[in-house]
Amino acid sequence: MTWTEKYRPKKFEEIKGQDEAIFKIRNFIKNFGKIKNALILYGPPGTGKTSLAYATADELNSEIFELNASDLRNKEKLRGILKPAVEQKSLKKENKIILVDEVDGISELEEGGLPELMGIINTTSYPIIITANDIWNRKFSSLRKKCELLQLKEINYNIIKSVISEISKKENLVINDNFITELSIKAKGDLRAAINDLQTLSKLKDYFSVILDERNKETDIFNSLRRIFKEKPTNDMINIFDSVNMPIDDIILWLEENIPAEYHGEELAKAYDLLSKTDIFKGRIYKQQYWRFLIYENIFLSYGIASAKKNPKTGFTSYKKPSRILQIWLNNQKTVHKKSICEKYAQYVHVGQKRAMNEFPVIKQIIKSNPEIQKELKLKEEEIEFLKI
Amino acid sequence: MRGIWTEKYRPSKFSELVGQDNSVKRVEALTNSMNIPHMLFAGPAGTGKSTLALIVVKELYKENWKENYLELNASDERGINVIREKVKNFARTKSLGNIPFKIIFLDEADALTPEAQQALRRTMENYSATCRFILSCNYSSKIIDPIQSRCAIFRFKLLEKKDIEKVILKIAEKENLAIKQDAVEILYEGCEGDCRRCINILQSTASISPSITSELVATIISNTKPRDIKVVLDYAISGDFQKAKEKLLDIMLKESISGQDVIKAIQKEIWNLPVEPVIKVKLTEKTGETEFRMTEGSDPFIQLQALLASFVLAGLGEE
Repeated sequence: MTWTEKYRPKKFEEIKGQDEAIFKIRNFIKNFGKIKNALILYGPPGTGKTSLAYATADELNSEIFELNASDLRNKEKLRGILKPAVEQKSLKKENKIILVDEVDGISELEEGGLPELMGIINTTSYPIIITANDIWNRKFSSLRKKCELLQLKEINYNIIKSVISEISKKENLVINDNFITELSIKAKGDLRAAINDLQTLSKLKDYFSVILDERNKETDIFNSLRRIFKEKPTNDMINIFDSVNMPIDDIILWLEENIPAEYHGEELAKAYDLLSKTDIFKGRIYKQQYWRFLIYENIFLSYGIASAKKNPKTGFTSYKKPSRILQIWLNNQKTVHKKSICEKYAQYVHVGQKRAMNEFPVIKQIIKSNPEIQKELKLKEEEIEFLKI
Repeated sequence: MRGIWTEKYRPSKFSELVGQDNSVKRVEALTNSMNIPHMLFAGPAGTGKSTLALIVVKELYKENWKENYLELNASDERGINVIREKVKNFARTKSLGNIPFKIIFLDEADALTPEAQQALRRTMENYSATCRFILSCNYSSKIIDPIQSRCAIFRFKLLEKKDIEKVILKIAEKENLAIKQDAVEILYEGCEGDCRRCINILQSTASISPSITSELVATIISNTKPRDIKVVLDYAISGDFQKAKEKLLDIMLKESISGQDVIKAIQKEIWNLPVEPVIKVKLTEKTGETEFRMTEGSDPFIQLQALLASFVLAGLGEE
């Protein structure tokens, strides 16, 4: 279970730092039916929108009826699902709250969903809570008019810090106070992200007691690999790549190439698991341009992979240069041609390109020895060359 | 040996089509009335769906057929919006000649999601005054009811041996091939009733020698089968990670199979592995996580290798 779910607050009292929002939600419920039938909770990710909706249901002892954006995309489906829910009394509990989560996920493709939602807001006999990250798109202008708006602000780092401390206590993590502070500041108001990071790091034994060490003297990649694969993990390992004059993306390739030379079975699986998690952080850096994640990349790659082995290893292993990028490059040159040939072929014989790609081995055999066909398909010089390989 | 045989010997008259007598007769009658409804051709690959559509178009428009015919492939186009846009542009101008409508052939329509099919339905309605749609699919059950109800449905079945044989012998005669009965058998078995595949294999074989023997055909068939993901998993389960990794790279790079396609194949192959049920579920879960990470833009090689490493573990009987 992820900690974000495990520690999701169930009641208003458990929700930290959103007192004003809770006050407004209570008012909305009290006045339901008099002014507005629906409430939009909007704000950045990890500020508690969905939690607030569930806590509201808890306080009213009511059932929650959740709709996501893909349900909304389809007018008929929506009508089928929602109408009975709005009109009938809930079987188990007296009350019902309708939650439309992430309304800004509605795609432009199907125009039916939004008007239908508005129609339901007009006729509902139960309060509707809508959540969204961004509600200021023009397509929502009439929805905004029908609903009460409630903006949620990013969560103050002190509150994040207290939540993180509490979770670490419950999870029995020994953790340095400065580290918690740093993690909380870097979360930039996104509590979910902070909890996720904590959980990820907790998987690394000893990390929280790590004290940054002095920088090592310059060394080369072979030396670093040797230490990581052979030695017991030590705290100074987390900076081991600082002294290797090589971009981290290349280091990933070196590790990828050489893990199976040293590790087997469970060690292998653990090491690759950490490598794959490094890759996820790499993606997050690119997506969010948030370079602090580099720290995690570094730790997973060094200390993490070192910790995957059960016992220190001895003996000499010769490490290989990564070969994948070169292979990919070479093969991409080929794929380009394969694709373009299939495109021409597919059009000529009235089949789909994907099918032509699937049947390429047969097609290739037919085309490669037949200049007539090559001419008919208007193949280029380099495409013909490619067929001969 | 000139031309691509699947094109060269594509039937151009109703009477030349083999194996689909019922459907062909009904479509022919409709075509002769000069007014066709929307039609849905359902059946396996290589049974004559595109061919029949082409014959209809050529019969209706004669030499002007190219101007009045739009061919789209649902699995190649980037989304329903691209398809709608192309349909819109095509349908905007009136048809040439005395037929008051144009024809749009949408191949592999079952590749569209139900949502996209809903959008397609609206498009069909909007342009029904100026266009007729012929949809083709492998499984009509994957076509939403509202579209099925707007189309006349024609089913295509796999070609029987006698039909395939007829096609093979006709081509052999025209191309001066010497072919023995046992080679015909192997061809039929190798193509599984798919006429296009049959002709392609025949032409591949003929490109090596005009005397078609069963051995030669068998070699061609086994050489042209896409390489199997099973080999990769077999190596992994038996504990040979290095070999599994090599094979994986081979499949992905040399055959240029995408990470997404590899993961799909792995997911299906898990069920055939010699491991405990609990481990199958664990592996499926890991596979799902890997697929998710790849859709989020992670490096498919690293993610797949991590997955393979957990298959090695599973082979050791651990989780």
